[in-house]
Amino acid sequence: MKRLILIHFAILFAFCCRAQSESSLNIDDSNDIVGDSLPILRPVTSAYMLELGASSIADSYLSPITYKGATAAFAYERMQAMKFDPQNWVMQLSARVSVDRTRNIADNATSWRFNGSVSWGMLHRWTILPGLTLAAGASTGIDAGCIYNQRNSNNPASAKFAWTVNASAYLAYNTKIGNLPVTLRYQPEIPLAGIFFSPDYDELYYEIYLGNHSNLIHFAWPGNRFAISNNISADLHFGSTSLRLGYRHYSLSSEANKIVTNIHTHSLIVGISGEWISLSRRQQISRNARIISALY
Amino acid sequence: MTRLKFIFISIISLFLATACHDMPEFADNPKGNFEALWNTLDRHYCFFNEKGIDWNDVYSRYSPMISDKMTPEELFDVCAEMLNELRDGHTNLSSSFNTSYYRKWWSDYPQNFNERIIEEHYFNFNYRQTGNISYGILNQNIGYIRIPSLSYSIGESNLDHILYYLKTCDGLIIDIRDNGGGLLTAVETIVARFITERTLAGYICHKTGPGHDDFSEPYPFFYNPAEEGRIMWGKPVAILTNRSTFSAANNLVSIMRTLPNVKIVGATTGGGSGMPFTSELPNGWAIRFSSAPVLDPLSMTTEFGIEPSEGCAIDLDPQAALNGVDTILEFAINLLSR
Repeated sequence: MKRLILIHFAILFAFCCRAQSESSLNIDDSNDIVGDSLPILRPVTSAYMLELGASSIADSYLSPITYKGATAAFAYERMQAMKFDPQNWVMQLSARVSVDRTRNIADNATSWRFNGSVSWGMLHRWTILPGLTLAAGASTGIDAGCIYNQRNSNNPASAKFAWTVNASAYLAYNTKIGNLPVTLRYQPEIPLAGIFFSPDYDELYYEIYLGNHSNLIHFAWPGNRFAISNNISADLHFGSTSLRLGYRHYSLSSEANKIVTNIHTHSLIVGISGEWISLSRRQQISRNARIISALY
Repeated sequence: MTRLKFIFISIISLFLATACHDMPEFADNPKGNFEALWNTLDRHYCFFNEKGIDWNDVYSRYSPMISDKMTPEELFDVCAEMLNELRDGHTNLSSSFNTSYYRKWWSDYPQNFNERIIEEHYFNFNYRQTGNISYGILNQNIGYIRIPSLSYSIGESNLDHILYYLKTCDGLIIDIRDNGGGLLTAVETIVARFITERTLAGYICHKTGPGHDDFSEPYPFFYNPAEEGRIMWGKPVAILTNRSTFSAANNLVSIMRTLPNVKIVGATTGGGSGMPFTSELPNGWAIRFSSAPVLDPLSMTTEFGIEPSEGCAIDLDPQAALNGVDTILEFAINLLSR
């Protein structure tokens, strides 16, 4: 049985560890050989982030009033150069859970939004200037949750579910501020097509519970479900670990069965990121391995 | 540089790309709140046609009463009066200082119920109680169950204990007078003890758009008998009703009356067959209104109430009540003792 040992490595640290790996640690499938060229290491760039910010939510199934308040989220991101063409292709896995607490303008009712999302995508990248990388590709993901209005009777919650195929891109710039290496990145993502859930105009969830499942799933396109996320981040590289600071804007506007949902959030991001390599004791690490990072 | 310019412009464009589907917006002033109330009901209320209400005419009569100089109390009173035009016990306007109710659906009728008479003169205050359900055995060996509300779930084991205790009785009276309703799931729990096969319980439909005629096809829903091992009831049943038997209790009557061995005794129920939705106004007042009609197993509306079974209409005689006699209960006892 294959035993994997996950060790946190920054790229520079990986170089330093090469001598040690020869005697004790071997690299598993990250130690690829492409043709007759040098073995390639594909470290995983991962980040754990907390997001805090402002939220604006309107859902006509629950109320015609826009609720405003705060949002908080925990997010995880994993990127890695892809095995078949590590120089040009990267994969990205993103997951996020969030909660929003909002109040109506009269400040006498509360609405909660609970949401979770996960997506996986592939992006082709081009180095357009030294240190400046442009990437573009597609991702697919699930977005699910609900908006809950505490004072409503038979319509207390509006469930949300969508599976979409998204256009995704990023622009990354590796530079220095003083002596501190910094990676600046801007990444937008827009769902292009998919499916999403919506009850009928005034349909009770009780009726769905009784078995009426007609007209609940809708084809999604930007005309009836427009969403966009804009992420700006700066990874400040302090040795093997990086501090990620950033800003995230998310906007969703959908209309199905004449039910309109508008969600806008603006969040500040703080997190840690770094590059990791999966090592195994069986395979030898190559002294000449070439490291291809997904982002840095 | 041209390429960088293109990238920069693209980024700015993406940041500005926030398409929004419109939602009607109303100002938080007397006019805006009145408009919001009228529009919400115009788009979502479900009984305009059944009740023959011209909602535009209502607007033309009430909107001139609105002025920006009105106090919140004055605005509330006009709005509440407008809602009373709907003649609907499920329609309320709630503020921090008042909640409006349309009461004529029951206040114009005799109450036909005095709980104290039964507690004192039929049980001498010696009856059993589990949850909010009271029960006991009447002198004529007739079981009696009093369910004052359906606002809470009814435990299956509670029903087991009740029906087991009453198992030697010749008949069963279920008294749901003054029961203002609650959970339809509680209705299902009760009905499941009186059916032996999957039974059509009614139809439910909903609005599919803001038009007054925009409704879905009625969707039939069925109830199954209680799970194996539960205590069931197959002997004759009389259900006591009055005008305050409303909403989910009205729905219970609409299903039970289609079962064999079940008679509805007393007065016409209060109706309330529209499942209520909640919305709100810009000033934070909450609105509740009928939005999703539930039809009986014959696909008929019960919004205006359900009449007793043929030959079972009877009022509480006030004179007899003074002597501790509930004439509706007496009628049911005689019916089940035959």
